[in-house]
Amino acid sequence: MRAPDINLEELKRFKEENFRERLAFLDKYADWLKRTPNSQWSKQQKNFLK
Amino acid sequence: MEFHFKGGKISLQKELNSLDSFVFDFCSLLDKENIKYVIVSGYVAILFGRSRSSEDIDLIVERISKERFRKLWEVLVKNFECLNTTNAVEAYAEYLLNGVAVRFARMGEFIPNMEFKFPKGELDQWTLQNRQYVEVLERTLPISRMELQITFKLFLGSEKDIEDARFLYRLFRENLDSELFEGFLHKLKIGEKAGYLS
Repeated sequence: MRAPDINLEELKRFKEENFRERLAFLDKYADWLKRTPNSQWSKQQKNFLK
Repeated sequence: MEFHFKGGKISLQKELNSLDSFVFDFCSLLDKENIKYVIVSGYVAILFGRSRSSEDIDLIVERISKERFRKLWEVLVKNFECLNTTNAVEAYAEYLLNGVAVRFARMGEFIPNMEFKFPKGELDQWTLQNRQYVEVLERTLPISRMELQITFKLFLGSEKDIEDARFLYRLFRENLDSELFEGFLHKLKIGEKAGYLS
């Protein structure tokens, strides 16, 4: 099977867009952390890291 | 998140996760032996709530004598095992003195592990001399200055590193020493990457 043609410039742009989306979501997460009591976020983190 | 940021010390109360417990258990042994060290890795972001884990925690440890290292080794290997070698002299002479880290994990485990290394250059020395402290549940952990932690993550430049930098900046931007922060941005020549922070 032959590999399809790949537009590397387009892929780089998608990668950058995806990264920017993750950064934006990370802002939402950090903002949530700042307004959430330590007992609540750290319990969630503990469960996540189990 | 409630934390107090005062005089180079950050006080934080949190429920410890398994990675926190691993770090505290290991570092308490360094404290008992009066070893000077600083935590510099992505673990700092995790300590403050980042929702990711890490397989290693980077420690810069003061360059101690062979005798002090052997004494520390005897204490460490009661609860942890070195993943590189079972010989203290080899760990010291073949690894640490040659600028190579040795890694310690809990007995029978491989991850997470502490990456234990001596300072390599001037910036490592500065980091060790200018530690910042985090108080968590009456324990104290020395971490690198937040201004350096954030800018060095930008310098490293992987997506994970940039995410950590942005996360910490979002949490602590009001508490940073702006002169120090700008100085690191300038000296690490990463001014153009500062756009990733906001």
